[in-house]
Amino acid sequence: MPILQVKDVTKVYEGKVTNRAINQLSFDLAKGEFLAVMGPSGSGKTTLLNLISTIDKPTSGDIVFNYIKPQNLNKTELAFFRRRELGFIFQDFNLLPMLTVEENIVLPLTLDQQPVDVMEERLNTLAERLDLKPFMNKRPNEISGGQAQRVAIARALIHRPSIILADEPTGNLDSNNSREVLELLSKINKERQTTIVMVTHDPIAASFCDRVLFIKDGEFFNEIYRDDRRQTFFQRILNVLSLLGGGQVGDLSSIRLP
Amino acid sequence: MTFHQFAYRNVVRNIRIYAAFFMASFFSVFVFFIYSMLMFHPKIDNGFLGNVPIVWMVVAEIILVLFTWFFIFYSMKAFLEARSKEFGILLHLGMERKQLSKLVFIETIIIGLMSIVLGVIFGYSFSKFFFMIVREILMLEELPLYLSWEPFLLTFAVYLSAFVFISMVSVQFAPQRKIIDLMKGPKGVKYTVTYTKKRAYLGVIFILLGYCLAIVTTRTTLFSFTLFIPILITFGTFYFFSDSTQYFVESLKKRRSVYWKNSRMLPLAEQTFILKNNGKMFFVVTMVSTLAFLSVGLLSTLSSYTSQYDKLNPLGLVYKGHIDNPYEGTHISSLVSQLEDKGLSYHLTRFTVIKQTSSYTKYEVEVFRESDINSLLFSYGYPMVRLSEGEGMFIPYTEESVKKLKKKAVHTVLVENNIPIKIDQVYPKLIFPSSIVSLNSIIISDEDFAKLIKPYSGYPKVEPGYHLFTFDIPQWIDTTDIGLSIQHNVSAEYLKEKYLLPYYFENAGLNYSYILSTYSLFTLVGLLVAAVFLLAAGSFIYFKLHTNLEGERRKFDVLKRMGISDNELKKLVTKHLFPQFFLPWGVALSHSLFAFIAIQKILKHVANISIVKELIFAFLFLVLIQVIYFYLIRWRYISHVRD
Repeated sequence: MPILQVKDVTKVYEGKVTNRAINQLSFDLAKGEFLAVMGPSGSGKTTLLNLISTIDKPTSGDIVFNYIKPQNLNKTELAFFRRRELGFIFQDFNLLPMLTVEENIVLPLTLDQQPVDVMEERLNTLAERLDLKPFMNKRPNEISGGQAQRVAIARALIHRPSIILADEPTGNLDSNNSREVLELLSKINKERQTTIVMVTHDPIAASFCDRVLFIKDGEFFNEIYRDDRRQTFFQRILNVLSLLGGGQVGDLSSIRLP
Repeated sequence: MTFHQFAYRNVVRNIRIYAAFFMASFFSVFVFFIYSMLMFHPKIDNGFLGNVPIVWMVVAEIILVLFTWFFIFYSMKAFLEARSKEFGILLHLGMERKQLSKLVFIETIIIGLMSIVLGVIFGYSFSKFFFMIVREILMLEELPLYLSWEPFLLTFAVYLSAFVFISMVSVQFAPQRKIIDLMKGPKGVKYTVTYTKKRAYLGVIFILLGYCLAIVTTRTTLFSFTLFIPILITFGTFYFFSDSTQYFVESLKKRRSVYWKNSRMLPLAEQTFILKNNGKMFFVVTMVSTLAFLSVGLLSTLSSYTSQYDKLNPLGLVYKGHIDNPYEGTHISSLVSQLEDKGLSYHLTRFTVIKQTSSYTKYEVEVFRESDINSLLFSYGYPMVRLSEGEGMFIPYTEESVKKLKKKAVHTVLVENNIPIKIDQVYPKLIFPSSIVSLNSIIISDEDFAKLIKPYSGYPKVEPGYHLFTFDIPQWIDTTDIGLSIQHNVSAEYLKEKYLLPYYFENAGLNYSYILSTYSLFTLVGLLVAAVFLLAAGSFIYFKLHTNLEGERRKFDVLKRMGISDNELKKLVTKHLFPQFFLPWGVALSHSLFAFIAIQKILKHVANISIVKELIFAFLFLVLIQVIYFYLIRWRYISHVRD
């Protein structure tokens, strides 16, 4: 049984200009899988992530988590669902500047009014595993980007969610920090069987995943699975991207004739 | 599109952003104009408005101008800060700093002119209403609406120069920030904590010391304390907001079992930085609100005093003299002829009061005759006193003493003449003002009074009694200029070390006119000051919130994604706003509370009135306004961060 099912999801933004951001998209996500979603700008990646995050609702189609349909929950139940089942990692970290590192990490638990000893216990194990001990009492503006993203990952993990949603987690990081963060994510994925959905632009980041899903203009384009070597996987991702992006293989130019 | 058009469209199309700044300017113009209308009123002759010297109104107006300048300057700064991102984009596109100053200048002048014109229009349309209120308060015959150029010119001149000056200064002297910093939006809050333990304790100690002094204030220490207490409280309040509050929150944060529990973490962590970044502003708000509370409280006190004055001083004129007072005949006949000249009807009662020693208290007691009292009571229209031999009745000295004396029953003997008296009743109403009779005064029957032959044992060292002449005058307010020469002698004698005159005179109408003019003055000045200060105190907080709104919205975006329900969001906002609104007010309220404890004590001593009821009413009213204001802001705030 997949942990997440996306069935024929369509999202249309109505406004002065109607925009079909996602069109008839379907895929499943198994427990413990590390999925990357790739696509050019404006392909609907962020919309898809918002739909899975339940902060937006699909126009048609279903998104099912472990038999739960978030569409059927009311606002408060949705908030509780997000708080317990989902973990978030953002491109610009979104750590709250008035809280220290450790306070930022336990924030999801305080929102859920967990007892303090539970918080401390989980904080300690996470801090050890993610190597956060040296800067636990600093503020977000006093640590580096890589450290901040590690803190954000700890925050996404502390309440033991069933799925972690990452939106361009390496978008603001240099190559070293990127690699560190990605290795950390894949380690967590291996060790704890945590399911991760990561939206990214970066083929290197995608090459750390088990599977890459390509979307274009809101529609399914292709998907490829990881093989034994990361190097060849990376090469295959690049191939698909060249088909998807600038190459315009077998396509007419963007100015269409009548 | 010309540059001027750009500036104009900036204002007109973003009217919602400019609204807060506009409203603040508009209201101060409005108040200023109304007061100028009153100041230039043609009915004001000799510089007096009713009983109020116009000088004081000018002083109030100057205070108002200074304060609104500061206020406009502050809101301007907050407003520019909130728009730093916009300025960053303009500078990025290649605008010169000079052009930016010009842009801000034109925009400010547009808003300024709009607020001045609207403020004057609204002010003029409300001034008739305001004149009606003033006429009622000052009991003037009439105060018609008029049209003249002076108030218009004054308002335009004062405010236009304010806007020109402030818009130039605020741009020129604004710290120059790099474009890249400007693009990031408002400077936001600083996240380092700065407090010292010493000052934290000092703040609390100063305030408590000030309160203690206020509690122990008596009439004699009043003057030295009134200098000392405000200094203590001012410094105490400053340290309290800059250090004590931060220290308190920080020490709370050290205890995880408190800090991390029940979603307390976020609001508590926020408070540290709110307090740190706004300490000075909170201090100003607190002091300003304290002043506003004090003026509102004083107003209600004075209003209760004036309304009770009639009851506390039932007699129009009172003349009290020694038994052998040589001036008695001339004074009384001059008073009577003056009253007759003015055509005022009066009822004159002559009392002979004899002092005796009471065996019960061992002290002197002042004895009144039943028929004398009845003569006065008859003119009041009060019920008469019926006493038989051996019976006595207390004369109440204050309203409250009626209750106290009611429960008392005393068997005493007037020692000098050995007359036993049983006193077990009290006259239920105040007969004499409290300054006239002693605390120990009784009425006895005519038969017993006739037996008082032997004088008071203290005689001749102490006067054995006195003559009392009371004029009951229905139109007592009109007696202001009766007996002025006697009044003059009496008040001159009061300034000397010892009161040696053989007579004493009290003119209730004259005293009332003094009190009324002070009251009217306080009303006019106090209302103005209170209204502007309260508005300003609220606006300071509003501007601060407005500046940080963008950052707050980002914070709530993260939280919403993480999953907080609508209810929790509202709770968070409440916890975020509540201390900012009610901490300065709470401190101001407690400051003024202790100020009034001191004032009440002195008043109790001097004028014998209780101001508790009026104060509670006035303060409840203020709290109600603040609660409404809080919910209004909270509502706007929630709708801002929710979407």
